[in-house]
Amino acid sequence: MRLHEFVVRRLLLLIPVMIGVAVFTFAVAQIIPGDPAALQCGDKCGLIVGYTDEGEPITAHQANRERLRLDDPVSLQFERYITDLINGDWGESQKNGRPVLDIIKTSAPVTLEMAFFSLMIAYPLGIFLGIISAVRQDRMFDHVSRFFAIAFVSLPIFWFAMLLQLYFATGPEVGGICDPIFGTEGGCFPIFDRHDQSYTYPLDGYHSFYPESGTGFHLIDSWFVTDAKLTELPSEFDTNRELFMDTLIHLVLPCSALGIASSGSLLRYMRASLLEVLHEDYVRTARAKGLSEFRVVVVHACRNAMVPIVTILGFSIGGAIGGAVLTESVFGIHGMGTVAVLGILQLEYQIVMGVTLLTSVIFLLSNLIVDIAYAIVDPRVRLE
Amino acid sequence: MRDWEEGRKDREESQKRLLESLSMSISNLGRGWKIYRRSLLAMLGLLMVLSVSMVAIFADEIAVQHPYRNLTDTEDKWSNNPDQQESPPFSEECSFREQKITTNPSSPLFSETVVAESANKVSGSIAYGYYTDVLSITKIIKIENDRGYDQDISLITIDPNNSSLFVLSPDLYGNSSHYSGVWVTYLYENEDMSHWWLPEGYDTCIFGTNKEGHDVFSKVVYGARVSLTIGITVATLTVTIGTIVGSISGYYGGRIDEVIMRICDVFFAIPGLILAMAFVAAMRSVSSLTFPVWLGILLPVLMLAYFLNSHLSTTVLSGDERVSDQAMGMLMENRSLLVGLLAFLFFVGWLPAFAWPDFFGVSHSRGWRLISSLVVIVLLVGIILADRRFVQKNSLDGALKRIGSSFDWTNPWRYLNFRTVVVFLSMAILFKLSGNEGPEIVLIKDFDKLWQVQFALIFTGWPGYARLIRGQVLYVKEMAFVEAAKSVGAPPSRIMFRHILPNAWAPLLVAFTLDIGGTILSASGLSFLGLGAAPYTAEWGLMISESRVAFQRAPHMMLYPGLAIAVTVLGFNLLGDGIRDVVDPKNRR
Repeated sequence: MRLHEFVVRRLLLLIPVMIGVAVFTFAVAQIIPGDPAALQCGDKCGLIVGYTDEGEPITAHQANRERLRLDDPVSLQFERYITDLINGDWGESQKNGRPVLDIIKTSAPVTLEMAFFSLMIAYPLGIFLGIISAVRQDRMFDHVSRFFAIAFVSLPIFWFAMLLQLYFATGPEVGGICDPIFGTEGGCFPIFDRHDQSYTYPLDGYHSFYPESGTGFHLIDSWFVTDAKLTELPSEFDTNRELFMDTLIHLVLPCSALGIASSGSLLRYMRASLLEVLHEDYVRTARAKGLSEFRVVVVHACRNAMVPIVTILGFSIGGAIGGAVLTESVFGIHGMGTVAVLGILQLEYQIVMGVTLLTSVIFLLSNLIVDIAYAIVDPRVRLE
Repeated sequence: MRDWEEGRKDREESQKRLLESLSMSISNLGRGWKIYRRSLLAMLGLLMVLSVSMVAIFADEIAVQHPYRNLTDTEDKWSNNPDQQESPPFSEECSFREQKITTNPSSPLFSETVVAESANKVSGSIAYGYYTDVLSITKIIKIENDRGYDQDISLITIDPNNSSLFVLSPDLYGNSSHYSGVWVTYLYENEDMSHWWLPEGYDTCIFGTNKEGHDVFSKVVYGARVSLTIGITVATLTVTIGTIVGSISGYYGGRIDEVIMRICDVFFAIPGLILAMAFVAAMRSVSSLTFPVWLGILLPVLMLAYFLNSHLSTTVLSGDERVSDQAMGMLMENRSLLVGLLAFLFFVGWLPAFAWPDFFGVSHSRGWRLISSLVVIVLLVGIILADRRFVQKNSLDGALKRIGSSFDWTNPWRYLNFRTVVVFLSMAILFKLSGNEGPEIVLIKDFDKLWQVQFALIFTGWPGYARLIRGQVLYVKEMAFVEAAKSVGAPPSRIMFRHILPNAWAPLLVAFTLDIGGTILSASGLSFLGLGAAPYTAEWGLMISESRVAFQRAPHMMLYPGLAIAVTVLGFNLLGDGIRDVVDPKNRR
């Protein structure tokens, strides 16, 4: 099979899954209790807003039901849902009327940023420790690192994140272990939020903690959006560099929590894969040629051992997004996870649908890209 | 029909086989144990799992003893009076608390002597459902007025005759500056609470108390019960569902396989936690799990039919053609009609348990549902129990006798196999869970939040197992012994249960063990987000979540529950790894 055939085939396979996800989110939204029409009008539901032709009063609640067309048959509602999705209308929040796509546009980059940096921590850490562990098989280091790999998988991530907060984000006098650096209060790293609350972005004469224009990725925005202001000291000088550093420092704890938690499984995969490769003939040949052990392991063995590691990248992204829900909740970051949790707690089914749909799209696309990359690296895959 | 003496030979044979397989499995276990105990980590995991299970089983004995607290339930019954939640301070010692004392002489609550009592009112068998502990004061530390200013300690003294009474000095209530009351902070001993396993004179709250004044240690101990229940229930049910679906998918292949695997793909595409969250939200309004009586009748009939099918067709009607074949043939010829009918009933009347909003908006009437479900019952029962004689002669003469004779009464050992054990066990569990009220069969009476979490996790968990089992079945299916079984005419169910699954269980066992740990993690995560256990339940994730208000000032509130989760999950993960080493020699390195 040629490469482009493989790609096309994988793309075609995505279609039924996407349809399935859409059906699924729709079904969940149908089952979620609570009346969206009642949610929208709140305590004014009994208000009479008009009269029918027969002279019977119409309450605000009935009018809302009419407007949202909730009394239609399910089949019609589903049809409308799909067409709306394709047309880019993902519904709106029932509390404040903000479009779901808009909410997702500001929250998804935050989560993606966090997931990216956590994988940047997890992969080097896991692979490095995995290599050492495999090379020193059955020695002390191997046992210890394997134990820690399992322990990191077993830690509840929210608890781990709170421990990090406890020890690294509070001052020594309260129980932390490090002194303030980077101008933060309490411990050496900030405890909450995505950037210091004294920085704001102007928004219609008000202060906003999120830039309205820009990409939504805080790191990028903090560098390029020029109108960030310090609320306390409105200053003339350029705050972008400070803001960037501050934003970066705020990432350290959440990303370490997420990254260390997911490095455990990577370590185990890397170790198993490298051990398998080290028994291959070509490694023996390389040793027989008199190459140094370092060269044998790093150049000959590792390159081959890395291939299966790359394939689980797709799953790691899904896992990181799932773990981000808990981490965001601990660190008070307004990413997709927080949006989803709030949506579910307040029974805002449009938001839940949107977030579920988007996370699955991200997951599927990342898996697709990884598979294609795998097919390029290892042509044998295409034959299956 | 044979009589008892005639079956003696068969009986002895069956008994011999049972004993043989028993001794075989015991020797296998012994061999596995020899491999297992080589690994230190695996032994550590086993120790952790065993100790957590012991704690869960003997939670009533280990937790703080208190004569009036109802601790027999897995749920925490220590619910507070919600109006008084804010009063006690966080403390690491349980002997330290604050109490408000009214100092306004004109207030009806005022008295010159005040009893020191705990604010956490406990539900139990006491009148009004609440109970207040009377504490004995050891030392008064501090007196503050309402504005937070320290007052002279000598204003309140302890009654020399009764150590649980505060005596107010006239200076205190005569002074109009603290009319609204004062806060007194004092050290106390609670004589009602005790640990039988701690020597006399030790602190009863070894893990401290939480902000409601509950003993964290007892809550952690009871949390083991909740977590293990969730883990084991969910893992068992997901394994069951996943095995059934996966083996169907793997064995039959083709279009069924394709459809099932695409459904699994959909599940994999959505991150598990978000999916579980959405499902928990969807189940919010479910308060008890019920299904209509007709389904409750239909299910046993189907089961019975399944068991009797082979007996009826082979022993009773040893004619030219089997009944089941005939019935299946009829079914297959008209299958498009049947599927169409079922689909129609499905969309119009909704056949299984819960009410479905009419898909086409065709009808809202109850009649439709009744008629459709009746038709379905008649259809299915008719097809499965269709007896040729009944079809030909329109009579059921001797039907009972035929069914009776098809059983081998003389050899009860024959029926002592894995399948019957599973059926009886599941019946016992169903019986334990269910109550019977009204026109519906109640499967789970208290479908509380913990059940919702469990169902959400089952719902999200089965595709993993389905995929795992499917792979195993595909692998085993190609082996020669399956071909042999097929060639001697064994039916698919026999091949599935007797030949394929026994050879595919090893990775399943490992996944099951690892999944218990994973489930405990997910459940505590859901509780942490506020979507799991109900408030005040002794659930570890919830306890950590409740501690967030002041975890920097009082880290003991989050440290111990988190440690408990970590130890439990680590134990199950190490155990799973150890089992993997035993059952899967390829991975042993």
